[in-house]
Amino acid sequence: MSSSGNPSSSGGGGPCGACKFLRRKCVAGCIFAPYFDSEQGAAHFAAVHKVFGASNVSKLLQHVPEHKRPDAVVSICFEAQARLRDPIYGCVSHIVSLQQQVVSLQTELSYLQAHLATLELPQPQPPQVPVSSSGSLQALSITDLPSISPSVYDLSSIFEPVMSSTWAMQQQPRPSDHLFGVPSSSNIGGGGELQALAREFIHGGQMPAQPSPGTSGSASTVIKRE
Amino acid sequence: MNPKRCAACKYLRRRCPKDCVFSPYFPPNDPQKFACVHRIYGAGNVSKMLQQLPDQTRAEAVESLCFEAKCRVDDPVYGCVGIIHLLKTQIQKTQNELAKTQAEIAVSQTKLSQTQNSDFM
Repeated sequence: MSSSGNPSSSGGGGPCGACKFLRRKCVAGCIFAPYFDSEQGAAHFAAVHKVFGASNVSKLLQHVPEHKRPDAVVSICFEAQARLRDPIYGCVSHIVSLQQQVVSLQTELSYLQAHLATLELPQPQPPQVPVSSSGSLQALSITDLPSISPSVYDLSSIFEPVMSSTWAMQQQPRPSDHLFGVPSSSNIGGGGELQALAREFIHGGQMPAQPSPGTSGSASTVIKRE
Repeated sequence: MNPKRCAACKYLRRRCPKDCVFSPYFPPNDPQKFACVHRIYGAGNVSKMLQQLPDQTRAEAVESLCFEAKCRVDDPVYGCVGIIHLLKTQIQKTQNELAKTQAEIAVSQTKLSQTQNSDFM
């Protein structure tokens, strides 16, 4: 019996992907049912179960407001897939890669801004490297983790190439000593976009390329306890 | 058996064997590290993951697991995916600024060369 729409067993349909994988009865109100359909959901849940464990994910979801659970599931699936692809670094390698891109771009921007300043001023002046809103460019340290508490993220950007020009977020620079001046909150996106993203991810959405950090020192640089 | 239990075995309230898979990476002076990882992944999953890795890569794996676990504890909805998103946003913003600055440089250089040409005339 194919289940279209609500995969929950409460409507008389088959078990959800999670319960199918766990080979258990899918009860009414199953916490996984809305997010893991009976067709491809089982494959996605397999990754989540292998990395996090069904009971841990269940507890995580129970502590998340219901309207945020689709996003939570998408991000958990993303992390699980990343960890299975790269058992050593998981999605940290992706973070390192992006961090390096930020540093490189900001260095280039500082250089160009200094160059522009010399062109615009009639007299040569020492180039004034503007204080970047990104703050410190030190390596990511676990003690420098920003407190990220956004209301909603547009998760579609996670799965798009960096060159995408569809973002419309207006960020406020963070004056604290956080690593990249990462803003603490954003209010972008809507339920429809995220549901579309969840469907895209579940139906074989792109995973960003995660170059290995290479030397063992890079992750040590990234994750450094002080 | 280790006379001093590692943080994991202390947390799990069990004896710490000599070949404990956790003890090299979860010293007893940092109980929070294991608590965080256990909360998100569970001791069994972490143990399985570590056992599947070569010894020389386990330290890095533990650090990345701790990092992701802490991100997830801090942000139960997005975890470290939130950081990825913010970094991508930062990259896009910087690229936009770069493009704008390059355009401004091009304009300035054009004006400068026009000024120089008119001086020669």
